[in-house]
Amino acid sequence: MRAALEVFCYALAVAWVLPLVLVRLSEQGISPRLGLAAWLAAMFSAVASATAALALLARVAIGGWPAFARAVCESVTANACPPALYRSAAYELGLAAVAFLGGILLLFLAWRYGRSLRRASIRTRAHAEAARITGRRVNGPAFVLDAAQPAVYCVPGRPPTIVLTTGALAVLDPEQLSAVLAHERAHLAGRHHLLLAVTRSLAAAVPVIPLFARGTSAVAKLAEMRADDIAARRGGRHPLMAALLAMSRAAPVTSGSAAFAQATPAAWLAATGGIVAVRVHRLADPPPRARRICTSLTLAALVLAITAASVLIPALALTGL
Amino acid sequence: MRGFGELEAVIMHRVWDHAGPVTVRELFDELAAERTIAYTTVMSTMDNLHRKGWLDRVRDGKAYRYTATASREEYSARLMREALSDGGDAEAVLSHFVAQIGSGESEALRTVLGKLRGRRSG
Repeated sequence: MRAALEVFCYALAVAWVLPLVLVRLSEQGISPRLGLAAWLAAMFSAVASATAALALLARVAIGGWPAFARAVCESVTANACPPALYRSAAYELGLAAVAFLGGILLLFLAWRYGRSLRRASIRTRAHAEAARITGRRVNGPAFVLDAAQPAVYCVPGRPPTIVLTTGALAVLDPEQLSAVLAHERAHLAGRHHLLLAVTRSLAAAVPVIPLFARGTSAVAKLAEMRADDIAARRGGRHPLMAALLAMSRAAPVTSGSAAFAQATPAAWLAATGGIVAVRVHRLADPPPRARRICTSLTLAALVLAITAASVLIPALALTGL
Repeated sequence: MRGFGELEAVIMHRVWDHAGPVTVRELFDELAAERTIAYTTVMSTMDNLHRKGWLDRVRDGKAYRYTATASREEYSARLMREALSDGGDAEAVLSHFVAQIGSGESEALRTVLGKLRGRRSG
């Protein structure tokens, strides 16, 4: 009972406290790869330790039934718990019903998780197929759609597809276009869609957990920065930056967030919501080398610690140490 | 030719380029002038496109006459709507180079650019 609670406390800390640290360490995109590793390790750790806590609880409940029933009874009624009550059939049935409902809830969450993954995959495949039929093939996996709206995006799957609009071709010069294509190819080669799909479905299945909600947006941003780094390594930072600026200037500005923008300082937006601004900033003016090394080392240590903890804590608890 | 999907695209673009309905025989004649292709391949591909909802067909004697269910422009517009909508958990997994940006975002971008320009000149 105690071990289960301890493992559960660890899971809560990972789910509620760790995101605060990870956001600070990863928001500026120093080493996006380590940032991604840290967020994913934290999510894995939270799921693994919560599962281990439930397994422990189930083992305690089944292994020492009357004692467990008594402990639960006493924790609710503050020690005023006669054996006649906690040994009664009604009480035992009640506990069993609660456990049963908990199991149903878990199954429901798992089902919802699977369903959102499946739906996203069906929609994605259908979109890629339609784009490959409607578009004109230009460059390897890239297809051009006739649309004034400038847009470039990649659709994972077999085969992977990159979609451009004629509107995007109109605002990009050849160097910028190859930077954009390198960025999209990096997403496809790095299988970033899998990271996005897993984190989005976790957030969709259990939306109240900050680690999943914040982690989903952090992972999406870090994946963009990682693809930027790969594209910049191939064709230089400047065409990529120019492409980012050209595309965001051409992108339609939605008016919905105007009031929100007025209420918040621009610097804060740049740190949280303004992913394009952050991407341009880090390409144009990378942080000093010392800070990059320091942040990378901290992230690497964190990844190791989280991974070790997510294996060791459930293992120790389950073996009864 | 690289697989079945590519042939579907080729055939759809031919159908769109035709003003009116078209038969398998007509498309086969056009394609066979440019590449080696079997009549049955064209027929089964068009049958597939019909089954998937890309083509409509009406019987005309022994053959079918095929038309596209929507124009190329309509399909492009539909894809753009889907790609740019902020769907819920059912949305397709697409990665935009630059997503639609809010006015807060463009404000932040201007701030960053101003800062960079100031640093370069200063």
